[in-house]
Amino acid sequence: MGSGLRSSILKSTIEGLTPFMHSVSVSQFLLLVNESLRLIPSQDFVVEGEISDFRIAQEKWVSFDLKDEKEEAILKCFMTTWQLKVAIEDGMRVQIKGYPKVYERYGQFKMNVTEVEPVGEGALRRAYELVKKKLEQEGFFEETRKRTIPRFPERVGLITSRDAAAYGDFIRVMNNRWGGVDVLFTHVHVQGREAVPEILHAFSFFNALSVEERPDVLVLTRGGGGLEDLHAFNDESVARAVFGSVIPVVCAVGHERDESLCDFVADVRASTPSNAAERVVPNRQEILYEMQTMTRHTQSRLQDHIEQYTLLMHRATQLFGFILERHQTRIKSLFQIFLQRVSSWPVLINEKVKSLERVLRQLDPTRILGRGYSIVRVGGKILKQSSTLEIGSRVHVQLSAGSFDAEVAGVDGKSQQRLV
Amino acid sequence: MSPKKKSTNFTTAFEELEQITAWFDSEESLDLDEGLKKFERGLLIADQLKKKLEEVQNTVQEIKLKFQDI
Repeated sequence: MGSGLRSSILKSTIEGLTPFMHSVSVSQFLLLVNESLRLIPSQDFVVEGEISDFRIAQEKWVSFDLKDEKEEAILKCFMTTWQLKVAIEDGMRVQIKGYPKVYERYGQFKMNVTEVEPVGEGALRRAYELVKKKLEQEGFFEETRKRTIPRFPERVGLITSRDAAAYGDFIRVMNNRWGGVDVLFTHVHVQGREAVPEILHAFSFFNALSVEERPDVLVLTRGGGGLEDLHAFNDESVARAVFGSVIPVVCAVGHERDESLCDFVADVRASTPSNAAERVVPNRQEILYEMQTMTRHTQSRLQDHIEQYTLLMHRATQLFGFILERHQTRIKSLFQIFLQRVSSWPVLINEKVKSLERVLRQLDPTRILGRGYSIVRVGGKILKQSSTLEIGSRVHVQLSAGSFDAEVAGVDGKSQQRLV
Repeated sequence: MSPKKKSTNFTTAFEELEQITAWFDSEESLDLDEGLKKFERGLLIADQLKKKLEEVQNTVQEIKLKFQDI
């Protein structure tokens, strides 16, 4: 072949090539690809598949493959740990939202995930168990950190939906039991998209109030439901809000057998919304009864002491032969005051009081005199033995009415003949 | 947001009643004058608390929280 022909073939080859293509660099090409990918309305749909090869690198970078359940197809996914709001693991079916991109550096096509949602009951339950274990390990369920709620709260923060039966039940039972409480109510969605942010907002609000303004206790409650309905109450951020609340929290979800993470984290777990009201406020009747018991008890003790005192005085009379006027007066006045006070309180006067009366009566010497006895005194002291008497001694005799002085003429039947 | 009403303070009064009751149990032989004083104070508190118990109403105030767009 002559050089002329070679060069003309080359020329026509080159001419043949150049009209089809402009030359671009790799990065320019990838830019074109990514721009085209951006045209996909990524926010308008979710991609559903099964997670596999789930990893977290350097505690920041999350990666996993999303597998098509029917066809052999995988989508490589990438996100950061702070974007990941739910606990996921291999085998879980999820729906993701994000935007596809080719990563220039490694030439890899990846889905940049912005949201992940587990789907199906099984996935939800697995996610729930994962979070539950995590919180338990962090000590969220520890009994020791749970605070007691005040016995007589003045202000209660109520977080629930006004459309829920829970709201009505709680308020009704509370009204039946107790009064004078200030209820601050924040209406929130208890399920659906709005639930978690609204509940978190309510917790922030109450916790931000000053000490004088904030409620004494918070009540987070809703009716029963399946795992999907209760999602907000199993949400990790809500559980953290309950744990971190400076105000003690009572949580009540549905019925006895319903459980939620908030139940475990709360300071008090009530079985139902009505039960929550029972735990938060006391019962008027019970408190009234307790007060009556206390008053009866103090009355009884006081009675005992007065009785003791009175008996002491009785014994003193026997020992010393007299009862100091003032002690007698004192006992009488004490008893009067006591009876007066007691009669204003609906308590029964019991046997002890009656016996007290009897003792007092015994102590009153004038009653004895009334029966015909007299009190003989020598030198001011009550005479009991004749042996101390001498013939000619002067004695003072006190009768029931009046008194007289006398001179001893004889002792024990013996009289001395006086030479007049 | 108004502060909680402190005037009631059921809790303080109730605790005082409990203290008085405990006092009566603690002494072997108590001073009768003091005993009578404490007893009278106890009855006074009990009367006040009883009146509080007769208060039937709870108040429900709805707080409208403004939720920002998420």
